[in-house]
Amino acid sequence: MPETDLVLFLEAAVRLGVPLALAAMGEAITERSGIINIGLEGSIIGGALGGALGALATGNAAAGVLAGAGAGLLVAMVFALFSIGLRTDQIITGTAVTLGGLGLTGAVYQARFGATGTALTLPTLAPMSVPGLSQIPWIGSALFDQAPTAYLSYALAPLLWYYLFRTAWGLELRAVGEAPDAAQAAGVRVRWVRFWATLFGGALAGLAGAHLALAHAGTFAENMSAGRGFIAIAVVVLGRWNPLWVLVAALLFGAASALQFLLQALGLDLPYQLFLALPYLLTLAALAGWVGRSRAPAALALPWPKER
Amino acid sequence: MTPVLASLRGLVRRFGSVTALAGANLEVFGGEVHGVLGENGAGKSTLLGVLGGVVRPEEGELEISGQPVELRGPRDAWRHGVGLVHQHFTLVPSLTVLENLSLGRDAGASGFALPQTRVRPAAERMMARTGLSVPLDELVEDLGVGDRQRVEILKALLREPPILVLDEPTAVLTPAEVDSLFDLLRELARQGRAVVLVAHKIEEVLAVADRVTVLRRGRTVLTSERGGVDPHRLVRAMVGEDAATQTAVGLGAATGGVVGEASGGLLAGEVVATLDGVRANRASGAAALVDVSLQIRRGEVVGVAGVEGNGQRELALLLTGRLSPPAGVATVPDGVGFIPQDRTVEGIVGEFDLVENMALALHDDPDAGRGMWLDWPWIRQEAEAVRSRFGVVAPDVGARAEGLSGGNQQRLVVGRELRRARDLLVAENPTRGLDVAATAFVHAEIGRITSVEGGPGVVLLSTDLDEVLALSTRLLVMTGGRLLEVPEGSRTREGIGRLMLGGLQPDV
Amino acid sequence: MYEHGGRTAWVVGAAALAATAVVAAVLLWVGGYDPARAAAAMWSGAFGTRGAFVSVTLVRSVPFLLTGLAVAVAFRAGVWNIGAEGQLYAGAIAAVWVGIEGAALPAWVLLPAVLIAAGLAGALWALIPALMKLRLGVGEVITTILMNFVGINFAAYLVHGPLQEPRGVFPQTEQIADAARLPALVPGSRLHVGFAVAVAMAVVLAAVLRWTRWGFRVRAVGASPRAAWAAGRIDAGAVVLATFLASGALAGLAGGVEIAGLTYALYEGLSPGWGYTAIAVALLAALNPVAVVGTAILFGALEAGAGAMQREAGIPAVWVVAVEALVILAVLATDQLMRTRVRGAQTPGDDEGNVSPEPARA
Repeated sequence: MPETDLVLFLEAAVRLGVPLALAAMGEAITERSGIINIGLEGSIIGGALGGALGALATGNAAAGVLAGAGAGLLVAMVFALFSIGLRTDQIITGTAVTLGGLGLTGAVYQARFGATGTALTLPTLAPMSVPGLSQIPWIGSALFDQAPTAYLSYALAPLLWYYLFRTAWGLELRAVGEAPDAAQAAGVRVRWVRFWATLFGGALAGLAGAHLALAHAGTFAENMSAGRGFIAIAVVVLGRWNPLWVLVAALLFGAASALQFLLQALGLDLPYQLFLALPYLLTLAALAGWVGRSRAPAALALPWPKER
Repeated sequence: MTPVLASLRGLVRRFGSVTALAGANLEVFGGEVHGVLGENGAGKSTLLGVLGGVVRPEEGELEISGQPVELRGPRDAWRHGVGLVHQHFTLVPSLTVLENLSLGRDAGASGFALPQTRVRPAAERMMARTGLSVPLDELVEDLGVGDRQRVEILKALLREPPILVLDEPTAVLTPAEVDSLFDLLRELARQGRAVVLVAHKIEEVLAVADRVTVLRRGRTVLTSERGGVDPHRLVRAMVGEDAATQTAVGLGAATGGVVGEASGGLLAGEVVATLDGVRANRASGAAALVDVSLQIRRGEVVGVAGVEGNGQRELALLLTGRLSPPAGVATVPDGVGFIPQDRTVEGIVGEFDLVENMALALHDDPDAGRGMWLDWPWIRQEAEAVRSRFGVVAPDVGARAEGLSGGNQQRLVVGRELRRARDLLVAENPTRGLDVAATAFVHAEIGRITSVEGGPGVVLLSTDLDEVLALSTRLLVMTGGRLLEVPEGSRTREGIGRLMLGGLQPDV
Repeated sequence: MYEHGGRTAWVVGAAALAATAVVAAVLLWVGGYDPARAAAAMWSGAFGTRGAFVSVTLVRSVPFLLTGLAVAVAFRAGVWNIGAEGQLYAGAIAAVWVGIEGAALPAWVLLPAVLIAAGLAGALWALIPALMKLRLGVGEVITTILMNFVGINFAAYLVHGPLQEPRGVFPQTEQIADAARLPALVPGSRLHVGFAVAVAMAVVLAAVLRWTRWGFRVRAVGASPRAAWAAGRIDAGAVVLATFLASGALAGLAGGVEIAGLTYALYEGLSPGWGYTAIAVALLAALNPVAVVGTAILFGALEAGAGAMQREAGIPAVWVVAVEALVILAVLATDQLMRTRVRGAQTPGDDEGNVSPEPARA
């Protein structure tokens, strides 16, 4: 196999893995606080559209990334107000937020650019090559000749890990997700912590969406999140709610999605639609083989306080 | 003159139809250990909850250090210098002891600091000073109840609160630990703090308290210096003047009033359930039951006393066929009634009406319909029968169970399970949280069914010693996953207490 | 959960719809559209003429009805089946395959075979997440959603590959045999017998839930798994498995009925997300199967009206998806608020959920 094919595969793996990593690391923080945000998909698509509109309006891709994060945060705020404020069921609320996100972004996009979907060209987030590191054979260009959002995800993993396991704030967050009553008794503001953890997860999901639009596709398309929010939630499970492992798991899934390029290069031409199904099948298989060995936060998805 | 550190006046708080506090008062001085006494349900925990910020009173005033305050939550209480050691554990099981001790300690100000490193030396100093020793780096879920209680106390002490409130801290401690805890409380009081200690054992309170407040039915009925009262007066204050001469407290001492040993002894009939060398494990894999053997006969009431969490739960599940043992043989009958401890979670479905709750016991009964169909009119009749026979106060059987008071929910569960208990009734703390009338009702029903020819055998698992003493024809103590037969001579509170604590294995 | 006695359900439903209408109108207004014109266009598209109502609204309501029932029965048992979409595709694939391969069979054999195959395929699609839940402890929410994507892409693969129509031009299968098609229910309209089948399923499901032992167990497990186990001695695993399969079968049937009654062929994007909309349909009906008939027709009208709205008022039809999301959120919110109010009024029993009202002495 020619070396360039493998390099291209690795590059694609990272490019596809980064949005998953961003969304999943955010969701890991959210879930550590006891909230499962199935509306992540809505934050991603919201971030993609927000990123596209922001970049168009300013002509600046970086501003688009910020707008994307803001949009993702706003979508998550709707989810948080319902599930934390009103204590509605997290699963159903999240599903509704995803539906609403997909519907509204579609409506706004069509209103703005017409229903025919004329291809939209955006200022893109160009890859930035890290001097030296990008020269490492094989993996250098894959890891270090990427959009800035990729470097953000590398940096976030250890930072979030430190936050979770080495700071008092992280301790509070974990306590809230494991035993909210106990955390409250110790003086922790449970809803407050959960609220911010959810918004943070939404902002990262928005970043992931902006990455999709500005670094990956260079355009916005309806439903372009394509279920990544749900895969990200599965990646959180596979990464055992630990940001470091979540990053690894997300990059592995990027690789699974990028297999297409590798197999094509090898002359194995599987039908395109089966390739599209592959990441979901792999996620299912990984969940089946893995889940028994990891433990979710004990209070995950339970409304609190549980006064009936 | 010592300062008044906390003053609670005229507190009223209802939980649904239950009035927990009906004008309770409490005044606590710096430098004293203040004991709060009261019967089960008298409002002790609720009163302390108000002081600890976890219960908001509907009426009444709260002053701390002379300032009127309104506590919006535990956080507020901490800030005002009240440290509450809960009766139920408020630890995060999946965190280490040290992490639990670090939790919530002014994280806002120094969120990036490593709390563990900051807290560890303080925790070690406090352990050395108090003699309360716990393994700091183990997960709380791996600790036994005694260790968990020690962690709770340490957690409160580490914040050095001017007012320390302890809700029944001694229940799971060994006698030696109780002694050193009391020494510590006296020491804290000498430093000028106020220590509030709730207990229902009079001797304990008198051993350590400088002053005593007694609650009855949500009211403060007596406050006095320790020297000013004798135990008899306290008992009368706790149970009421008239009741004291009758049965209420006498349940324990007088025994036999409800079901004599004789009746059990005479009527004990065929064996209905047998456990033979049974083991059971907890979810964590730790042993919950160790080689338990037991036979239950018709007409007997087998009382199982013990500190909570010593295997009673697993024993009940085995006897009711809801758990099959990984080792040993459990032979249990079909006609088993089960009164689970947590009736709102396990005994009834809150959003179901009384008829549907009745159907929980009847849905697989051949009489309850033909083939796959359920005969709802028949089930409704059965529900009506339970309602009228057991005096369940509800508008009608179509009312949702969650709308009933706790006592009436329990009547519903008891009625339904007695109907089901042709051979065996297993009851877990069946009177926990009930008022006096409902408690008497449950006790009477247990006595009634076992005194009938061919009635079922009863296994009564209770942490309430008086209850077990009063009702049992045969008495066992459960400790560390083992069952110990209580010899005739030890059938007293003290005797059983010794067995319970003596057998209690540290850190099981 | 989310099931009520009759009157509360009506109040929650009506309040939720009113809230949705207000919020949707505001959103449209903010988007620069005329809400009144939108509403008028929707109304005429959905109910304006008998033809619109029978041939569009009712026809569109059939998949909502069947997937709505699938979601309702699953949620009743506390099974979070978000996978009706994938199960619907599985049913559609099976239906189209049987309908083409069985062309030689007479209608009285083939038509039932098509529908049964669709139901079985849907159940089979649900079996995977069901077993993952029961055997491996993997929550069904994520797995059912992932199965949706697998199903959608698998159907896309089939219509581009093995099952593509013989000329190989369009991404769709060839048409099923005439004998596999559902006859018209109202002559001269597009409304097919599938509507009657779906209504019958609703009635059957309601009866099963209300009057049978199995239905009672489903409700008990859904209302309180702990009490169902401790007081009812109900094997929750068996109930969950059976309900999961029944739910999958209903969703699969939705796919089969759509093929046999309306499209006669499978194509990419057959369902525009009915399996997700079904959650709104079921919740608005308070998980009551008979009420699902009503809410399904309402959502059928919404879809029918969306087309007219786009044609006549220039509002993108995709707005309807946002409106569906609003319906779900509105039901959740009103339901929660009603609960709090009802609770406050009727004074519950002792409050064990609350903090420390005197448990016991140890």
